[in-house]
Amino acid sequence: MLARLRALFRFQESGLLLVILALGVLLTAFAGTVRTPVFERAADGSRTRVFTANAEGERVPLLAEKNKFLNAQNLAQLAKDTSFIAVMAVGMAVVIIAGGIDLTVGSIYALASVVGALVLHRYGPEGLIPSVSPALGIVLGAGACLGVAALCGLATGGLIVALRVHPFIITLGGMAIYRGIAFVITKGQSVGAFPAAFRDFVRFEVGDGLSFVPLATMIVVLIVGWIFLSRLAAGRRVYAIGGNELAARFSGIRVERVKLGVYLISGLCAGIAALLSLGYYGAATSGDGQGYELNVIAAAVVGGASLTGGRGSALGVVLGALIIQMISSGIVILGIDQNYSQIIIGSVVIAAVVLDNLNTWLAKRRLTAAAH
Amino acid sequence: MPFLKFTSITKRFPGVLALDGVSFSVERGTCHALIGENGAGKSTLGKILAGVYSADSGQLFLDGQPIAPSSPLAARELGIAMVHQELAFCPNLSVAENLCLGDLPRRAGGFVDRPALRARARAMLATVGADIDPDTIIGTLSTGREQLVQIAAAVGTGARIIVMDEPTSSLSAAETADLFRLIRELKARGLTLIYVSHRMEELFALCDNITVLRDGHHIATEPIPSTTPARVVTQMIGRELRAQTPAHLTRDLGPIRLAAENLASPGAFTDINLVVHAGEIVGLAGIVGAGRSAVVQALFGLDPAVTGQVRVNDRPLALGSIDSALAAGLGLVPEDRKRQGLVLGLNCRENTALAALPLLTRLGLVRRTAERALAERYAKRLRLKTPSIEAITAGLSGGNQQKIALAKWLARDCDVLLVDEPTRGVDVGAKAEIYQLLDELACEGKALLVVSSELPELIGLCRRILVMREGTLVGELPPASFSGAALMQLMAGLPAA
Repeated sequence: MLARLRALFRFQESGLLLVILALGVLLTAFAGTVRTPVFERAADGSRTRVFTANAEGERVPLLAEKNKFLNAQNLAQLAKDTSFIAVMAVGMAVVIIAGGIDLTVGSIYALASVVGALVLHRYGPEGLIPSVSPALGIVLGAGACLGVAALCGLATGGLIVALRVHPFIITLGGMAIYRGIAFVITKGQSVGAFPAAFRDFVRFEVGDGLSFVPLATMIVVLIVGWIFLSRLAAGRRVYAIGGNELAARFSGIRVERVKLGVYLISGLCAGIAALLSLGYYGAATSGDGQGYELNVIAAAVVGGASLTGGRGSALGVVLGALIIQMISSGIVILGIDQNYSQIIIGSVVIAAVVLDNLNTWLAKRRLTAAAH
Repeated sequence: MPFLKFTSITKRFPGVLALDGVSFSVERGTCHALIGENGAGKSTLGKILAGVYSADSGQLFLDGQPIAPSSPLAARELGIAMVHQELAFCPNLSVAENLCLGDLPRRAGGFVDRPALRARARAMLATVGADIDPDTIIGTLSTGREQLVQIAAAVGTGARIIVMDEPTSSLSAAETADLFRLIRELKARGLTLIYVSHRMEELFALCDNITVLRDGHHIATEPIPSTTPARVVTQMIGRELRAQTPAHLTRDLGPIRLAAENLASPGAFTDINLVVHAGEIVGLAGIVGAGRSAVVQALFGLDPAVTGQVRVNDRPLALGSIDSALAAGLGLVPEDRKRQGLVLGLNCRENTALAALPLLTRLGLVRRTAERALAERYAKRLRLKTPSIEAITAGLSGGNQQKIALAKWLARDCDVLLVDEPTRGVDVGAKAEIYQLLDELACEGKALLVVSSELPELIGLCRRILVMREGTLVGELPPASFSGAALMQLMAGLPAA
């Protein structure tokens, strides 16, 4: 039992789990309660208010008291918000572990969204070929969205490998270029009116308002990312390159190919998030996902991915994304002025990295001590 | 009264007792050797003196006064300086800027006073007779010249004691000779040197007294004239080292495994012709910069500009591609294990499997049991000293890291192994184990090309030794004419005596 417990604490992500637990407890304790109307679900799925009579015999809505943080709707909302960031953060983690950085994810998200949206629109109610086959439209739209995202990632990686320029510079340029393309092809207009079936599928809810598809997508991406990083030879190569690129090259690893791959993965993850957003919000503009790259990098870094490369895990960054979202949502719930939210999140990112550095330093000291 | 005295110095790191009650004295104006296997505690002791670590218990006395340098800066103020192997300078700044970095001469308004800066740097360089332009960027200097600047920094700021940690490990023969001349001169001026090294010949040529440490204990402090290298080795390892003739020398050679013809690379080497047979260890000698490493790296496909013909197992090898070198069965244990050989943040298992990953993979998945078995097998064969194969390699000693850098290529079962500096910075015990391993590999029919700067190593290990000078092969010695003197003459281009 004790050994089990100790193993749990030595488990790499246990620190993040503790932080999440502590945040959850604090938010629950300080959130206070709110009285909300009670709904009931009719046989056809529609929701209607429940009424009751008050002391004077008047018909009034039935209200229930619940914790502002710890309630089904808020948790469902948190799960959905986390999913979008977490999916991209897994891709970002792969890039960061390989010793790179990808600032293009927000722009790829926007470009993939609008390209997918243009295709979906053609097959939607206002499109040129409405209701021919919504299913075909959805498949083509999703394919376009993911395909464009993957191509963008490949292009970023290709430029980094071919031009041998630091990834920060290439992706800084790519960030502007991809968003620019999204603006040009939409002329800055919002694109909507998709086949209804698509929206219904992504917004499909289970329980008390929990969107199942984004959450399930995040879990699938997490599992695939975890297998990739910890079980596949390709993942091992990613760690090797991030840890020591020269030694990786001397070991016969095709460094360029792996680098190409990691930016492809990151682009694809941005595409998956874009696809979810198309279904969830039912429209896209070239301005979508502005600043996402910073949230995603923050999630990866808070989740323990080291910007010097060679360190990080898929589970860690997903938990990192959850922490960032819990803090954003906590700011709303605790009634803190919204204007402070960026200040708080920025401070959290810095604190997380400082703590992580401290931890690395301590580990290094133990190591060097052991070597002498 | 002794100049510098260590009394019962004890230093404990988590899980390790690095120094256990070490006491000895150092006389003023002497060069005092500090020797011991890796992990014996000699570097820790040097670092305590230089203020990098502080002792848990025990006391240091300088000129009879108790001292406790709490930081390298505090040690500097006491007149104690350390010359490191690692980068001590900003490589992008000039010699003068580095020498005065802590206290740049300034004019009003915070502007750097360039003429004063240059003059001060020139004065510091003059104290060690270094002929270096103070405006040279540090990064463009050779290791030896950079070390000279470090010594100038120490002497120029009034150091009385200089701790040198493996100062010659990456110096050429000429640079080493210059360093020795300088050390003798500093000694004559009354400076005291603590000289940490693995190289026995150097210590006996240079030092006055020698202190041997083993597993954190003080074993002996003796004047050099009253001891012998064999005695010191015994003290270091606690047992007799047997000089062995490698077994592969008595076996018959197999077919030619590696043959290079007219190998050339612009600016690095020209006209290299060599063959290595199955079961043969061929040495490649030469001073630093003669092009030895460039040749083995080119054979391994790391040089895109190389021309010529190479045949491996009688099949032509496409040059300039690591992929084809690997496919042909070549392996390279590189010169610098930390930079080129290992991913220090990965563990022993992952590093061992790194080059063999394609052999350990099914449908893209790493076969974990096979990987673990492989790592366990080589850990056992190479007598790797690690708490577990899951330990991070950054925490291992140099000798154990080198064993993993070797294991990585054994795991691929290469036919031809190129080994660049097999035992640099490795302790005596691990050295012997690595020699034995290379011998075993040759007996198994592998072809080995070994580059080394340690001549006794090549003499003790090889069947033939090729000598390079200024990018070309200048000679080949059969075992009958192996001698340090013959090799040195060829390497340095001196007429035969």
